[in-house]
Amino acid sequence: MRFIRLSLRQAEYNLVAYTRSARTVIFGVLMPVGFLALFNSVFGGKFKTIPVDGHNISTIAFYTGGLTTYGVMLGTFTGILVAIVGAREAGWLKRFRGTPMPSGVFLAGEILYLFVTSLGLIIVMLAVSHFGYHLSLRADAYLAIFCYTVLGVFAFSAMGLALTRLITTSEMAGSVGPFAVVILSFISGVFLAPNLLPQWLLTFSSYLPLQPIVSGMQHAIALSSGSGLVLRPFIVLGIWGVVSFVIAQFNFTWEPQRQ
Amino acid sequence: MANVIEVEGLTKRFGSLVAVNDVSFTVERGEIFGLLGKNGAGKTTTVEILEGYQSPDEGRVQVLGVDPKKGGGAWKDRVGLVLQDSDFDPSHTVTETVKLFAGFFSHPKSVAETLELVGLSDKANVRIGRLSGGQRRRVDVALGIIGSPELLFLDEPTTGFDPSARREFWTMLEGLRTAGTSILLTTHYMEEAQHLCDRIAILAAGRIVAEGTSTSLIALAGTTTVRFDAVGALDVEALSRETGIAFRVEGDVVSATLEHVQSDLLRLLQHVERAGHELDGLEVVRPTLDDVFLDVTGERT
Repeated sequence: MRFIRLSLRQAEYNLVAYTRSARTVIFGVLMPVGFLALFNSVFGGKFKTIPVDGHNISTIAFYTGGLTTYGVMLGTFTGILVAIVGAREAGWLKRFRGTPMPSGVFLAGEILYLFVTSLGLIIVMLAVSHFGYHLSLRADAYLAIFCYTVLGVFAFSAMGLALTRLITTSEMAGSVGPFAVVILSFISGVFLAPNLLPQWLLTFSSYLPLQPIVSGMQHAIALSSGSGLVLRPFIVLGIWGVVSFVIAQFNFTWEPQRQ
Repeated sequence: MANVIEVEGLTKRFGSLVAVNDVSFTVERGEIFGLLGKNGAGKTTTVEILEGYQSPDEGRVQVLGVDPKKGGGAWKDRVGLVLQDSDFDPSHTVTETVKLFAGFFSHPKSVAETLELVGLSDKANVRIGRLSGGQRRRVDVALGIIGSPELLFLDEPTTGFDPSARREFWTMLEGLRTAGTSILLTTHYMEEAQHLCDRIAILAAGRIVAEGTSTSLIALAGTTTVRFDAVGALDVEALSRETGIAFRVEGDVVSATLEHVQSDLLRLLQHVERAGHELDGLEVVRPTLDDVFLDVTGERT
């Protein structure tokens, strides 16, 4: 009980910082929304549908699903990297370590907070698509989107966590994170239709942690029947997430690394 | 248990450097104990071992009856920390930050009372990013005492304070001691140690070179000195001969160590009075902890 209570307080503390930072609001919300408007106006008129993993998906569903997932990964993966490296290098983690706070609370608070901001982003993106581009969702789709979000936040934050040991400054964290996410997005059917990419690159990216969940989100938003949930993203991202957590277990440190 | 800290034969090495070398001391409940030394003397390493951040290579360490490395949540609940440097999220206010920490402890002080104690009441709703260096240091101290600790570690807490802030800070620590908190303080300000600490250990190159109350340490540094300005008419050699006091001349200043302060001074003054001299810049100086420090660390040339 105490663990949950402290984690909620920690998440609330993080949310306060989020709302007070122009950087997080711009990169976390305005950028994905801006991309949605931009890509949709460039390609929306040219293509009615875009083929993804064997289904034709409407262009707005393609971009809503892809850019939302991109935003979630950018916010979560980069967010945890910057938060943990920043707190560690400032001596903040070390300071927490010296209090009776259970050691998992800091991480739980981060993940909880990233989950809330991810859900917030999804609501904004769906609202923009609905009111701006006439996208309507079936009731089933919401459950699928929710499940994919839980999966994404878990896997992406675990990956960020596993990388914290390699990154020694928060400036470095702030550039490595977005760089990795943008590169990955180009080969995962976020900005570009997958059929523009060579087959080998498509196959390769289907084992990386972004393409399967992007495809899942796009199908959940576009499909006219069924739950919209498929197993593959849970397997691929599940493995990435669990392996990352195991790595983080071994290499995580509370002490500043820059001497 | 009377001792809140017991350290016996503590040694810590970093590669070939022996940072802490066979250090032993105890801190009694309710006292302010000072670890005094220059940068690199081993103060922070010693304190970080007591706080549980580092492991000793040799020796036995007990803090509140527990090996700090094995100290769990219940132990940390009784200990307050002010580390040498930690930073806070600049976007939160002082109150928000202190409140977050209050939630970690089982018997926290009230936030308002804590801010009052560290002199930050008027900054309660100011964001940390807008505070000065000294004010941020006070936030650090607030986070150290918010949990009503039995034992408080302060690692160079007043670095960056102006003199009046330092005085206020001392008054606050004396208040905590009165309320029963035991305090281990590291500092490189002699004046701070002399003013605050019930007992002091002086560290140099990882070893304790002197230990005791500030009065007993000062007694180590020998006796009182008399000083006055050298003027042409005064024959210092004759003065030494006739008073039996060994005067030295260093530049423009004549000085001597006094064995028997009262009678020596009387002889000196009677002599100069008879000879019709005026002594300019006359001073009688008791040794300070500075002198002891320079003596025991072998820094005096």
